[in-house]
Amino acid sequence: MAHYTELNIGPIHPSIHGILKFKVKLQEEIIEDVEITLGFLHRNAEKICELNYYADNMVYFDRMDYLDAMNMEVGYLTAVEKLMDMEVPERAQWIRMIMAELNRLGARLVGLGAFGLDMGMLTPFFHCFIEREKIQKIFVEASGGRQEVNYMSIGGVYQDFNDQIINDIREFLKEFKPYLEDIYSMFMHSEIFWQRNDGVGILEPDVALDYGVTGPLLRGSGVAYDVRKDAPYMFYDKVNFDIPISHKKDNIGRFILKVEEMRQSIRIIEQSLDKIPDGPYFNNKAKKSMMLRLKGDGEAFSRIESDNGEFGVYVRGNGTFKPWRVHVRSPAFKNISVVPVMAKGMMIADLIVIIGSIDTVIGEIDR
Amino acid sequence: MNLLTRIHEWFSFLGNPASYAIGYILETLFIIIFVAISFIALIYIFRKYMARIQRRVGPNRVGKFGILQLIADAFKLIGKESILPEGRDDLAYKIAPLIIMIATLVSFIILPFGDLAYFGSLTITHSKITLILLFGILSILPIGEILGGMSTRSNYALIGTMRAVAKDVSFEVPMLISALAIVMVSSRSFVTGSAITGGFNLSTIVTDQIIPYGIIEPLGLIVFFISMIARASYSPYDLAESDSELITGYTTEYSGMRFGLFYIGLFGMIYLGSFFISILYLAGSNGPVMTDLGFIYLFIKTDILVLIAFLVWVSLPRIRIDKFVNLGWKYLLPLSVINLIYAGFFILYIR
Repeated sequence: MAHYTELNIGPIHPSIHGILKFKVKLQEEIIEDVEITLGFLHRNAEKICELNYYADNMVYFDRMDYLDAMNMEVGYLTAVEKLMDMEVPERAQWIRMIMAELNRLGARLVGLGAFGLDMGMLTPFFHCFIEREKIQKIFVEASGGRQEVNYMSIGGVYQDFNDQIINDIREFLKEFKPYLEDIYSMFMHSEIFWQRNDGVGILEPDVALDYGVTGPLLRGSGVAYDVRKDAPYMFYDKVNFDIPISHKKDNIGRFILKVEEMRQSIRIIEQSLDKIPDGPYFNNKAKKSMMLRLKGDGEAFSRIESDNGEFGVYVRGNGTFKPWRVHVRSPAFKNISVVPVMAKGMMIADLIVIIGSIDTVIGEIDR
Repeated sequence: MNLLTRIHEWFSFLGNPASYAIGYILETLFIIIFVAISFIALIYIFRKYMARIQRRVGPNRVGKFGILQLIADAFKLIGKESILPEGRDDLAYKIAPLIIMIATLVSFIILPFGDLAYFGSLTITHSKITLILLFGILSILPIGEILGGMSTRSNYALIGTMRAVAKDVSFEVPMLISALAIVMVSSRSFVTGSAITGGFNLSTIVTDQIIPYGIIEPLGLIVFFISMIARASYSPYDLAESDSELITGYTTEYSGMRFGLFYIGLFGMIYLGSFFISILYLAGSNGPVMTDLGFIYLFIKTDILVLIAFLVWVSLPRIRIDKFVNLGWKYLLPLSVINLIYAGFFILYIR
């Protein structure tokens, strides 16, 4: 006779990334079944977007993937600008790209640190956060906000880059490169880290595609799909970078891949810093006094590569100042749904590590 | 002349039984207070040390350089509400932290602390079987863990208790066999080569260590050190209260000072284990230069061991339960048996 222990991991638990609940059926320590409950952080952001002017909705997108706010803004703005036929000046595009990649680095650092924390590894967490703090100082310099930056605006960015910001970014990158290798070796030189992750959380590519998984999780299963390469937005087709993939399909492959992607992000930022042209940083049609008078008609869909995967935004306008419908395709929502497949037959300690390796952000799942 | 007889002399006007009783009580209090204060200092050092490793500043607000931080934390814990879970087994729930706390404290008064200048020997327990006594008291600790975990009816605590029991069972055995090798080696005198009966007595084990047994049996030292960290459930072996998986394992439903008592038991265990290792393997209160300050030697050795254990704590991720139990039964147990056989050969042929 089968005898189960039922364990509710969440909604309040030290190592769940946000407030979501995993109802786990355990046979001693072996996981028989995982049931995910979402919705604890639902804020109705998409519906609220319908009540606001186009320019005001940025704050709700900042708070979706709150660790990767710049990419969320890029996602919304590319859709809205497509809807309005708004040209974005070249300088603004490059600035957006630099900021998006910087924020990707920051979000990844949180992910790596939390991944260590999930395994009971305290030290890398602090190292990651100290590095991330430097990125946030650059954001404060540019936008005034630390995490929820609200930096970009329709047709451009809120404030131009000055020399100090560019210098700060260059200096940060110079210091950050050796630190990244330090953090990487802190994990990889540990035998227990390999024991905990090697062969744990295996995700077959066909399962991943069935579930609509994207981002590092999909590339970790050996599918080279990255929106930045496959459907370039902004100027990702004008810089050189590689899309790393891992054929190991497990946690360790995903971890190495994430760090490699950070190195590629650094490459992108360095090239972009050299390529920033002079010129206006916003479109004159969308200057600040005209911001609330912008109308949209028709429908537009844009997709970008956020920290977690393919982030899609659908906007529909009916010719007024406010959008008629906004919908978001959230990568973290698709990624978290594959946990029961990955965790089946594993131990409870593995479940925590798998969740850490997927690295979801609850603000984006529940919107 | 030891501390006991000195206090006995001071109070000799009260008659023999009364003065000896006062002597024992005062000596015990002296040792416990001394250990507690040195331990608070050690935790302060640990916090600063951990902060430096993690590129932080560490405590620096309460008192000069944050020295009083731990005392402030203790007052915070005392002041907190102790939330009692519903459906608990009341007696077991309340008695479990006390068992952990008292067993840890009592263990300290068995150790041979060596000499301290004017006071003489600080050893309190003058028994011939202190080694067995110490292991006996250490085996009380799992009872506290089990009672604490089972009485709260939380599934987290249940799984934590299962892990704690697995930990205690699989690491007690290599620890005991390593200690047995020490008993064998110390059962013959270095000086005369004849058999002596002091093998179970920690004091004679220390006085007999002309060469530290850690040099004679390095394998035993390693096995004992790993088992000690595991028994004290320190990271990477903190499965029983793994905070990222089981919240805090068997102490999940505890709060306030009751949780604090478990916490003291956890930290006290690493201190006790380090004392134990420095007594068994590193010649305890003997030092390179013969002085009447053996107590200081013992403390230096112990503190270095504690800092090594702390370094392990901050640098390694947590091991998984199946690998953990494998480590105990498949690696440490055979190694400790090999060490035992080696000890047998050592006393028969090499010495």
